[in-house]
Amino acid sequence: MSTTATTTSPAPRADRVDVPLPGTQRVWGMIAEFDTPADIMEAAKKVRAEGFRFWDCHTPFPVHGLDKAMGVKRTILPVLVFGAGFTGLLAGLGLQIFTNSLSLKIWAMVWVTGYPFLISGKPLLSIPAFIPVVFEVTVLLSALSAVGLMLLMNGLPRLYHPLFTSKRFLRATDDRFFISIEARDPRFVRSRTEAFLRSLGAKSIEVIED
Amino acid sequence: MAHSTATADLSDSSVMGDSRLAAVSRAALGIGIAGLLATAWIGWNRADPAQFAKIYLVNFMFVLALCLGSLQFTLIQHLVRAGWSVVVRRVAESIAANLTWIWILFLPVAWLYFSNPHFGEHGPSGLGLVWPWADMEWMRSHDAAEAAIVDKKAAYLNPKFFMIRAVAYFVIWAGTAAWLLRTSRAQDASGSVALTQRMGKWAGPLIILYGVSITFAAFDWMMSLSPTWFSTMFGVYFFCCVSTAGFSFLAFVVLRMQQMGYLRNVVTPEHYQDLGKLIFAFGVVFWAYIAYSQYMLIWYANIPEETTFFLSRQVGGWTWLSAILLVGHFMIPFVLLISRWVKRWRLTLALGAVWMAAFAWLDLWYLIMPPVPTKLATYDSLSAFAEANAGASTGLLDPLPYTMLVGMMGLLVWSTAARLSRGPVLCRRDPRLPESLRFENI
Repeated sequence: MSTTATTTSPAPRADRVDVPLPGTQRVWGMIAEFDTPADIMEAAKKVRAEGFRFWDCHTPFPVHGLDKAMGVKRTILPVLVFGAGFTGLLAGLGLQIFTNSLSLKIWAMVWVTGYPFLISGKPLLSIPAFIPVVFEVTVLLSALSAVGLMLLMNGLPRLYHPLFTSKRFLRATDDRFFISIEARDPRFVRSRTEAFLRSLGAKSIEVIED
Repeated sequence: MAHSTATADLSDSSVMGDSRLAAVSRAALGIGIAGLLATAWIGWNRADPAQFAKIYLVNFMFVLALCLGSLQFTLIQHLVRAGWSVVVRRVAESIAANLTWIWILFLPVAWLYFSNPHFGEHGPSGLGLVWPWADMEWMRSHDAAEAAIVDKKAAYLNPKFFMIRAVAYFVIWAGTAAWLLRTSRAQDASGSVALTQRMGKWAGPLIILYGVSITFAAFDWMMSLSPTWFSTMFGVYFFCCVSTAGFSFLAFVVLRMQQMGYLRNVVTPEHYQDLGKLIFAFGVVFWAYIAYSQYMLIWYANIPEETTFFLSRQVGGWTWLSAILLVGHFMIPFVLLISRWVKRWRLTLALGAVWMAAFAWLDLWYLIMPPVPTKLATYDSLSAFAEANAGASTGLLDPLPYTMLVGMMGLLVWSTAARLSRGPVLCRRDPRLPESLRFENI
């Protein structure tokens, strides 16, 4: 509560010189700064209870239980990865059965057919021999989909974010804990949200412009 | 952290063993004795002592695996300086401490060694009743070519060295388990951090000894049932049996104790999820991985001296058991245990643990009981073997293995519950206990 910096405050601050003059930019949202994981945990519960939807917490390290306090739903990523892995399993199996065990002709730009090849007297369709490839393709698709979908669902890679304009916010990767509330949130009213964040015990509050 | 759903109950009724566990112990002893009496009654007039001895071996290996699983669990936690597992470690230590007396169950084997009775005019005798290599005289008269191969292994596979090794294994296991429990209990009194550090320091050398000893025990007691067959994967295979049975038993015991009112809010779904992960990783996935690796190499190379192992498991009813293991030990639990909620919800985890322990037992049955080809592996001898055993039964409808299992499990639970009833069921002054109490999966 000691220092409160907003764009409306008259005294220009040294760490805000790169921000354009007030009123020339659209307001993106507001950030509130906290000192400890316990503080942000309490604050997050209250922000959630207030009914905000477009808001987030930024911490230098994972804070256990913060997701629960924020009411973040569990990701569906594992289900998607399972689906991708299963697809890999079927693809690996299908590829080998088609190429080694069947004499089917299919059209894939040109007519292609399998190449039944007898290896050490085993049946042409020998599941045990196919398992290593099936396993590898399953793992490959699982891993690629896990990484790829994680990036996609997080909206990454993203080279610019309005929060980057704040010098103060840099400490989110070091020793400060931030709650950001976006202006597009239906409950966002600049003056009231600022007062609300101050009531949570924020060390400082800053309006972020895009 | 500022959040916490419910506070762990560290009062005496929650963390001190008392009459509730003592009652379980007495009941288990009664059930165990009943099981052993039933076994004696059913088995008394069995015509085939070799079959009886092998059934005994299956059940012995199973209760041994339950104890070894907890020993390896404890060692791993010390080795990696794990924090999460402190709340269940005393239970694991107490189960592992059964290794101080489990050698008594091995005494019938020693009796075979010393007695050398001739059960039949035409069969092997003494230790050879179970392990053919122990009666070379019989092997030579049965098939000279096969015996000539086994003769080359005589420096390792001979009854005297076999018994010396057995003693060494039991000394290693009993010593490790007793030391871990004693040190941990000493910490209950002193709260000394140095004891945790000492256990962490020795966990490394001890786990090497442990790994070597279970590998060679598996070679001695199970792989040498067919003395010309070999697999470098076999020690790892037994490690999987131990992990499956041991981690499942540990999870089940903790679940049951919590149901009885112990460890209230001390063990949480977070810990159960991690125990479930261990069962899933080592009992389901790793088992499938190494069992398949062993199968695939032998199947692909198709060399008679190696394929005998799978031939004797693909005759008669054994074909079905092989398939049931594939489905029940891997496919079904893989799909079920992969989910998060299954490992966190007590009922499903308990069902999963019982299921996996049952399949660990079936897996040992599959390793030990099938008929063994005793003639030199040639096209003719193996064809004759397959023909002779075309109707081979797995023997799983026989009540004997189950009464024996009940008997041995009764003794195991009797001893474990009695040990737990006499002291704290929680490492109360472990320096990592606070970390374990607030442990959360991300």
